[in-house]
Amino acid sequence: MKKIFIRANLLFFLLIFVGTLPAAAVTDVCIDCHGGLAGQLGEIPTAEWQTSIHARHRISCHHCHGGDPTDYVKAMTAERGFVGVPEHSEVPAFCGQCHVGVEEDYWESLHGQVIDFGGPNCVTCHESHAVQVATIDLINEISCSRCHSYEKPALIKEEISATEAMLSRLEASIASLYRVGIDTGHLEDELFATRNSFRRLFHSVDIDKIRAETAGFDADLEQTKATIDELENTLGKRKIAGGALVLLLLLGGCIALLIRRTYEGHE
Amino acid sequence: MSEVPASPTERRTFLGIILAAIGAVAAGGFGWSMFRFLSPVDRGGEESQVRLERTLVAVGGAHFFAFQGRPAVILQPRAGEYIALNAVCTHLGCIVKWVDESQEFLCPCHAGRFSSAGQVLGGPPPRALATYPVTLDGDDILIG
Repeated sequence: MKKIFIRANLLFFLLIFVGTLPAAAVTDVCIDCHGGLAGQLGEIPTAEWQTSIHARHRISCHHCHGGDPTDYVKAMTAERGFVGVPEHSEVPAFCGQCHVGVEEDYWESLHGQVIDFGGPNCVTCHESHAVQVATIDLINEISCSRCHSYEKPALIKEEISATEAMLSRLEASIASLYRVGIDTGHLEDELFATRNSFRRLFHSVDIDKIRAETAGFDADLEQTKATIDELENTLGKRKIAGGALVLLLLLGGCIALLIRRTYEGHE
Repeated sequence: MSEVPASPTERRTFLGIILAAIGAVAAGGFGWSMFRFLSPVDRGGEESQVRLERTLVAVGGAHFFAFQGRPAVILQPRAGEYIALNAVCTHLGCIVKWVDESQEFLCPCHAGRFSSAGQVLGGPPPRALATYPVTLDGDDILIG
């Protein structure tokens, strides 16, 4: 019996191991070679990428740089779609392979229009390999002052901060609803869509446009908040009902004890 | 006038009635929560249909509308042939947009691509867009 149990356990872990193999194979070739090289062609970008939001979502080297991550010999050939490192002005299209919406707004912005004169591209603010979840803190005096005064970015930050704070609060509320077993799929979708569209808006770096359109996003968020409030309210009611049920059971137990005592004189 | 103490049998009957009442309330509460838990989720008028004028959807074009509180889209790939789809990308929930030139949907968030029938053509979406039944009623289209 014990042997069967051990074999079943071994089989279970073997299946899990085999299940993870294809995912591991995807990154192996790039990381295997470049992870061992020194400097900017190897250990630095590899280590930076490992801390990134891309790594967390298994967006690997070849998703941006092209090439074949499963073939050591032809990994970096044009035949396998390898594009290597983009020029400064090619970066938006590079990131825009996935982030199409933001790329569109970027090109329309002042930032996009001056890219050939050394204007900022995506990685100027977001980093290249160590790219993190974007937050409002990316707009800061140190970063923006590398190119121009902080006056306008400060205005933009002020304009969007209330909506951003609301987004963060709603994200936290959805996470706590999920932890207690509520199906939050639709809410997450709604919030992600609103957040993405809102962040596209401030990539335009156009203060008038941001002012005009922020109210629309606030209204969308209010709707999501109303749904969350309703769910939280239901949860509150459930807690009260659960507490009342426990009290009733305790009371029932006490009465059962009293009934038992009515037999004691007759024993 | 002195009160006669209740006999053990009377006390038992009295306490038994209270216990039964408590049991009934507790069982009712528990039963009600189980009923609510097992009942189908109210999706806000799932049976409801949306009526649109046929002229809203050009041949080869798309028209976005709300269906059961969610973004949806209707297409007319060929004259008289309509397809209604959920317009929410199956990757992370952004609303897809229709690209006339390529006759496909593109998700602005992470470049997920869907065919006019809602099938995944590329990018990260894990599954096709959900389709809704479409029927024609004179000059109108009924979705749902």
